[in-house]
Amino acid sequence: MSVRDVVVVGGSIAALTAVEMLRMEDFDGRITVLSDEDVPPYTRVPLSKGVLTGTESIDDVVLAPLADDVDLRLQTSATALDIDTRTVHTPSGPVRYDGLVIATGGRARRLGRPDQVERVLRSHGDCARLRDDLAAASSVLVVGGGFLGMEIASTARTLGREVTVVDLAPPLDRLLGAAVGGHVRSVATQAGVRIVVTDGGVRLLGAPVPTGVELVDGTRLEADLVVSAVGDVPNVEWLAGSGVQLHGGIVVDSHCRVAPDVVAAGDVTVISEGDGQLTRSPHWTNAVDQARAAVRALLHGDSAAPYRPSQYCWTEQFGLDVKMVGDLDPQGEPTVLDGSLDEGSALLAWPDATAPRTVIAVNHRTPPAKLKRLLKPAAAAAPA
Amino acid sequence: MRIVADQDRCEGHGLCADTAPEVYDLDDDAIVVLRHEVVPPELERKAEAGARVCPVAALRVEQIGAEP
Ligand SMILES: Cc1cc2nc3c(=O)[nH]c(=O)nc-3n(C[C@H](O)[C@H](O)[C@H](O)COP(=O)(O)OP(=O)(O)OC[C@H]3O[C@@H](n4cnc5c(N)ncnc54)[C@H](O)[C@@H]3O)c2cc1C
Ligand code: SF4
Repeated sequence: MSVRDVVVVGGSIAALTAVEMLRMEDFDGRITVLSDEDVPPYTRVPLSKGVLTGTESIDDVVLAPLADDVDLRLQTSATALDIDTRTVHTPSGPVRYDGLVIATGGRARRLGRPDQVERVLRSHGDCARLRDDLAAASSVLVVGGGFLGMEIASTARTLGREVTVVDLAPPLDRLLGAAVGGHVRSVATQAGVRIVVTDGGVRLLGAPVPTGVELVDGTRLEADLVVSAVGDVPNVEWLAGSGVQLHGGIVVDSHCRVAPDVVAAGDVTVISEGDGQLTRSPHWTNAVDQARAAVRALLHGDSAAPYRPSQYCWTEQFGLDVKMVGDLDPQGEPTVLDGSLDEGSALLAWPDATAPRTVIAVNHRTPPAKLKRLLKPAAAAAPA
Repeated sequence: MRIVADQDRCEGHGLCADTAPEVYDLDDDAIVVLRHEVVPPELERKAEAGARVCPVAALRVEQIGAEP
């Protein structure tokens, strides 16, 4: 059966890329996009950086608008899916599809109790509120030292706030590995950030607005503004009872398929590696790569090229521009391909220079395509 | 159609060039450069697709002759 009516659920980069891919594949049927947001698709990436500092506005981060023939329905949330009748339910009525792309992404994970109005950063609304809160605060406590938490810490420091980051492990090691993670932390510390590593969970104190955390040993850390940056939760509640396999996200196969004529892409997914292992990659490039593979699978079935992650992610903080390709959390000391971390600009490879599985550029102006070419040839140049 | 690239915003992630290498390129400093002053009609869809994947929204699509 040929697909004539495609419905895309979601209003961000995975949804937008799916629409673009349909058009690039010369799909000439109808495209309907259901987004529960009140603004057209924008990029979240600058929300922890320029938009939070106040140098950019939400208008600056809206992505190029969709083509006129795409029916974008804002403030329309999908509330249920019926796979047998190929229907997505919304408060304004059912929407029928013969091909469905699920791209409902994630939302900020919260630590606190329901009566606590926790500060998080995921949407443009969160960003506007956090910017106002930052303006009124002199001290900031960031709970969580991943990319997002450390970027918020960097922005708050740029604005002259007193900043503490608390995490269960040394911030960034799990992502960048100990060598680069340690380097970023030392730059952050020199910039005046206090980093607290605690053994065990933290409890959020204060209500309705949190005022601090308590560590397992009873130590209290307090601040004018407490921000939780503890990861994200996939938006899958609307799929309850639909038969879609959920396991910390929508489980997708190597072609991003979920069910007959249903595919999914982006932060909402977990990828089944076939050996029972599930991996999640909540980054921009993955959302783009998956959306493309998902649309190809929707239109061409088994003959479509499978999803192949380009494994590229980046972070910007404390004046450091870090670009990374390959496996996360590289172990051991890197081989230096160029420059040096001490001098501020470096190109690093793990485990060695002949067959790297991870390459990281720190303040090193190498185009990502070139970084990818440095990766172990077998991984980079697998046939399409 | 014309693409307007804000080179100050560009951070060299290269998604535009991955999507539409006929339209976008990166220079030695990994900053976007446009291959065409005016996008040839047959490349318009790809050019738009490339503009929409920029994570820092550094690329704008302009219809020539249309009011801004
Ligand atoms: C502040 C911040 C900074 C970031 N910086 C980087 C970075 O530097 N590099 C990087 O690689 N990644 C970064 N990320 C991550 C990146 O933004 C995400 O990976 C990306 O947004 C995922 O896109 P997505 O379309 O899958 O999901 P999302 O962006 O989460 O979009 C999901 C969309 O679906 C909508 N939706 C949800 N449920 C429904 C429903 N039931 N019905 C209708 N619509 C629904 C949502 O409103 C939203 O529009 C950052 C994220 C944040 C929050
Ligand atoms: S996608 Fe955006 S940031 Fe990346 S190279 Fe192109 S213009 Fe620059």
